[in-house]
Amino acid sequence: MRHVIDPDKCTACTICLTVCPVTAATRKFRGPKMTGPALTRLRKLVSDDDPMLDYCSNCKNCDMACPSGVPISTLNMLAKNEYYKKHPRKSKADDMLAHSEKMGKLITSLPLGATFANLGAAIGKSIGMLGSMGIAEKQELPKYASESFLSKFKKIKQTHGKRKVVFFSGCFINYNQPNVGVDLVKVYQHNGIEVATDERFVCCGSPMVSGGYIDDARKNAEKNVKLLKQWVDKGYDIITACTSCGLMLKQEYQELFDFAQMSDYAAHMYDSIEYLERLYEMGELKTDFKALNKKYIYHAPCHLKVQSIGRPTMEILPLVPSVNIEEADAGCCGISGSYGYKADKYEVAMKVGSKLFNRIKKSGAEKVVCECGTCRMQIKHGTGVEAIHPLTVLRKAYGL
Amino acid sequence: MLKTTVVVIGGGVTGVGILRDLSMRGIKAILVERDDLGYWTSSRFHGLLHSGGRYAVKDKEAARECIEENTILRRIGRHCVEATESIFVRAPEDSEEYEQEWVKSCKECGISAIPITMDEAFRLEPNLSRKIVSAYRCPGAAVDGFRLLWQTVASAQRYGGQFRTYTEVIGIEVENGLVCGVKVRDRWTGQEENIACDFVISAAGSFAGEVAHMAGLTVNVKPSKGTLIAFNHRLCQRVIHRLHKSSDADIFVPHGSITILGTSSIDSAPDDTSTETAEVEAMLKIGQVTFEDIYDYRILRVFAGTRPLYSADPNAKGRNASRGFVTLDHAHDGIKHFMSVCGGKFTTYRLMAEKVVDIVAGQLGVNEKCRTAEEDLVPDPTPELMGRAKRLFPSYGAELAASRLGNEKLERVLERMEKSPEEKELVCECENVTLAEVEEIASEPTSHTVSDIRRRTRLGMGTCQGTFCAYRSVGAVDRKGVPWAKDTVELFKEFLETRWKGIRPVLWGNMLRDTELTRAIYDAALNLTGVEEIK
Repeated sequence: MRHVIDPDKCTACTICLTVCPVTAATRKFRGPKMTGPALTRLRKLVSDDDPMLDYCSNCKNCDMACPSGVPISTLNMLAKNEYYKKHPRKSKADDMLAHSEKMGKLITSLPLGATFANLGAAIGKSIGMLGSMGIAEKQELPKYASESFLSKFKKIKQTHGKRKVVFFSGCFINYNQPNVGVDLVKVYQHNGIEVATDERFVCCGSPMVSGGYIDDARKNAEKNVKLLKQWVDKGYDIITACTSCGLMLKQEYQELFDFAQMSDYAAHMYDSIEYLERLYEMGELKTDFKALNKKYIYHAPCHLKVQSIGRPTMEILPLVPSVNIEEADAGCCGISGSYGYKADKYEVAMKVGSKLFNRIKKSGAEKVVCECGTCRMQIKHGTGVEAIHPLTVLRKAYGL
Repeated sequence: MLKTTVVVIGGGVTGVGILRDLSMRGIKAILVERDDLGYWTSSRFHGLLHSGGRYAVKDKEAARECIEENTILRRIGRHCVEATESIFVRAPEDSEEYEQEWVKSCKECGISAIPITMDEAFRLEPNLSRKIVSAYRCPGAAVDGFRLLWQTVASAQRYGGQFRTYTEVIGIEVENGLVCGVKVRDRWTGQEENIACDFVISAAGSFAGEVAHMAGLTVNVKPSKGTLIAFNHRLCQRVIHRLHKSSDADIFVPHGSITILGTSSIDSAPDDTSTETAEVEAMLKIGQVTFEDIYDYRILRVFAGTRPLYSADPNAKGRNASRGFVTLDHAHDGIKHFMSVCGGKFTTYRLMAEKVVDIVAGQLGVNEKCRTAEEDLVPDPTPELMGRAKRLFPSYGAELAASRLGNEKLERVLERMEKSPEEKELVCECENVTLAEVEEIASEPTSHTVSDIRRRTRLGMGTCQGTFCAYRSVGAVDRKGVPWAKDTVELFKEFLETRWKGIRPVLWGNMLRDTELTRAIYDAALNLTGVEEIK
């Protein structure tokens, strides 16, 4: 890690402060410039209590705004990782939320595990157990599916296609919303794409990084990088349908770690809708859509924006006849993966999302479309409006 | 008329060391400094507390003095010394025979030099060039010049020592071949006054010749300018020396939040603190042997100081020379009780003061022994005080503020914060300086400009080099109505010009981008363009 902890590119211009949703929501956070590059210089000098580190949600709006290319949020995450090597955790929820894959594996491996887990969460909430664990009691915890995506995937019969992709489902799709994964396979198959999965993939590490467990994320990254490189060598493109997984595999690994081969596969990584947009540009996307007669509002997740791939969903969904879709363009939803599930961050997260919630409620849209699983949860929680993945819309429009 | 026993001329490290030693021996003394404390050479250096390793081969006496004083200062000066240790590294182009001789010499001088494997060296200092072939750990350290000076003066004050800054000596009063006083002028009020005394010690460094000249004497000081480069962050956690015959640009010192690389050596005028871009380029090229990615690191600024090298005049009498420094007793030139102290090293300032005051005390008939090595410069803050500071200061602020303020001022700053919590806000975000500190230092009688506050707090010495803290600090002193803050435009100009001076020779990359931002802010918001008004 020779170049990573390097605050030199920052000119202290402070533009990051103007886009930070957390700073706007609470004065307890002094902002990205201060917590990132400015304090990175001082952290090399003295050790101290650093309560602000917990406030950065790793939403990465600062990175997007920075005209100098400083990985501000990554500096924060690295500092947080170092900080918690020497200081006790403030919340018992940190470990659980950062290692959601462990929980997912455990629950879906047990017969009726999901039923009991979901029931358990509901009971835990009603008796105040979640609160004592540091989990926001008002927040809706993601429910576990009774069958994982990888298990469902095995039952899907595919036809060979000239394009081959490997789908990195990520934990949320695999354990919580497997149908999004099924949507992807159906939509891709319809377009002549053969989808592979790999049971050796492990959690991308995104929740570990934002929870301050970078050393754990490093272990996962090491495994994933090797596998991803192998798939690319075999001629496969890599697809993610979770924008945080995508960002992690494609970009954050390179900011955080320095394994060989890391940048070799990044050029072959696509967001699931970005890939379809590419097909459309080459004239290869099937447009045999049925009219849906729906009014949607689209929320672009922060972790999609920071990938600089435009708004693929806003290019593709309007192709569906009689779909009325507008972009919310109302900032961060506040959840930032696990951030909004923490008891001490819940109010901040809800305040961050309030602009978006109002925008959605006023839009009169039937549903919200969004690529990110936890954004969808937060939007439902903040507005009562159901939020779905764009692949779900496409599958329906194709009539699959 | 003001009366004292000894007047010390010069508020650099030599002068303050002498003031402390005199005061601790019960000799009344006043130090006068033309500018701010540490304005000249004593802050314009690496910030290195030598282990002696650099001198071990060439000058064993100097090396022994260094390690002894280093050990003392790490103890008595722990609030201005950062005991980082140092690593001497040999590059492939450096002589192996020299390394062997150096190892032997360090042993002879009592300097611990522990060989380490290159794996260990790279683990300790990941940015070191992978071409380095051998490495040794030594007890070098970093020392903050400003802090050491102010803490030394604070120690002297506890024993009745006095000092005045911005007080220029304009005459040395002599009666019948005996010094009887100095004439001084307050540079802010223009007021002149005489200070009667029995002894004058000139510790004016590079300006020693000019001071002696006021008494009609000649002291041959040949100033030699050295340029230093400040990098934006700590490239290393330990002082890094090249293990070769001492040369230019071969020392990196992690200094607070920054790293300082130095230096060069060019004959110059005493007040020449300019730097040419070519000097910087030459230094970077040498520095690259130690840190191969040196061109990727952001330079903050450059600065330069002059070494007050004494050039021995073979006809000069009364030389009582130690290797490191020279005392000239001007009795031999016809003026009694007037002494010039020339040369010397920052690291051995205490020892130098001890030797000078031994002579002076002897002439004054004072028998007190030197005790400066036995007592801390400033007392440790109590755990209660630090606890209170930690609760009030923003992250990473408490320890830094405690070491730069000292206990009494820290206590007053904490009171300010407790009374009005908005004073906890940061004026300088790069170096973590709070509004309370700025106001506290601004209210001191020694403060006359924002740069005076800067030297005490590190305000404006970080990444943005004053871009954001200049208007905040000027606003703060204006709001408080401090008496020297009437002409705010002048305050801006003075502060921004001093920052600009250090950036101008390195105006590329992020230094250029940052400067454009600064220009835009002050031009657009305050119509301060740096262009003189045409009348």
